[in-house]
Amino acid sequence: MSSTRVISLDFECAIPRSLNEALEALDREGAQVLAGGTDLVNNIKTNAARPRRLVYVLGIPDLDTITVAAGSLRIGATARLGDIEHNREVLSRFPALAEAINVIGGTQIRNMATLAGNICNASPGADTPPILLVLDAEVEICQLGGGSEIDRSRLPLGGFFSGPKKTVLKQGQMVGGITVPLPPKHSGAAFRRLARVSLDIAKINCAVYIETEGDRIRLARIALGSVAPTPVRAPTIENALEGQKYSERLIHQAAELVAEDIAPIDDVRSTAEYRKQIASLLVREALQQAWRRSRGEA
Amino acid sequence: MNIGITLNVNGKDYPLEVKPNEILLNVLRDRLGLMGTKYGCGIGECGACTVLLDGKAVLSCQTLAFTAEGKRITTIEGLEQDGELDPLQQAFIDEGAVQCGYCTPGMILSAKALLDEKPDPSTEEIKQAIRGNLCRCTGYTNIVRAIKKASETIKNRGRN
Repeated sequence: MSSTRVISLDFECAIPRSLNEALEALDREGAQVLAGGTDLVNNIKTNAARPRRLVYVLGIPDLDTITVAAGSLRIGATARLGDIEHNREVLSRFPALAEAINVIGGTQIRNMATLAGNICNASPGADTPPILLVLDAEVEICQLGGGSEIDRSRLPLGGFFSGPKKTVLKQGQMVGGITVPLPPKHSGAAFRRLARVSLDIAKINCAVYIETEGDRIRLARIALGSVAPTPVRAPTIENALEGQKYSERLIHQAAELVAEDIAPIDDVRSTAEYRKQIASLLVREALQQAWRRSRGEA
Repeated sequence: MNIGITLNVNGKDYPLEVKPNEILLNVLRDRLGLMGTKYGCGIGECGACTVLLDGKAVLSCQTLAFTAEGKRITTIEGLEQDGELDPLQQAFIDEGAVQCGYCTPGMILSAKALLDEKPDPSTEEIKQAIRGNLCRCTGYTNIVRAIKKASETIKNRGRN
């Protein structure tokens, strides 16, 4: 029986003081990372997760740093959503990322939860994957190599999700950080979501990133959440936009193509039919804002 | 497996043995007798269990007790100083911002985290700060007014 008041499941815990120690502790059957706990603790309470050992990573020093270097923003694995949302570099260079984070839960959730956790939880309707996808984010995956050295590899976020609530992470691996290339001049991004009330999980969300050249859209990346088993890109719309002169008519027509790229289902939050119809509106609004932002407007 | 930890709650150290699966909310209520922090939904939606961890509002029903070691925990019982209510507590009384009272401790702690960081918040900022705290008596108007009033009290006190 599940209760939301107490946890009946017994498990061990490890409190590593370094990434090395964490990776060592994770390299065992049934071991799982505990960060903010806002998803995992609920999952344990409701029997959706049954870990044998939790590896608590928020005590590891310097794993939460947010830095700009070598043309990229790097967000450490344990940076909390609230810290990222208010970070100066994020606010000035990635306003759409700050906006996507701001809609998640209440203040308390954002004070606890991490961006890496939001990605690793791999909910098809999570709010950060679409914007991270269009910003070309990469996930840094860490594991212990020979001689207790840490192997770090980088994987484009698009290849990270393998299904609803599933990622390609293997036992013994952990996300060390997320990197996002700094956007060039004449680019803009936007995020849109629809939910019943503000604290709800999204019925549907979408993010857009464009680079422009004069009055043309040079490059377009569009992603949507809650419309497929994983967050998805929308290549049909992207192709319809790239190289074209921006106009209301163009984005209207392109956004109508969204149904080609998504496969929503009926669930408690919405219906497939509604999601298909509303998706084009969200894409259109996001495109309009991204275009304004690419021209230095809000 | 038990872990020996020390929890610092409202400025006082409590040495404890906890199991890894013990939830902070239950340790505060059942083991330390601090009943001000409430159990509401248990899944992070209502904010009734809000406490401050190093000054930031968090949900104690989603926090495993062992992870709070080494942090300053503030519950509603810790706001009163030498028999005098915190300006927020007083303002909640004065503005009639308490009906059934169940959401009040969490609501006040979310407001406390806000005012400590931003002593003069706008109405919009107040609403944002308490977005994660549900009041089912529908008393939000008076709650927002109380938080405004507390912010003024604190400002005036600084002037004197």
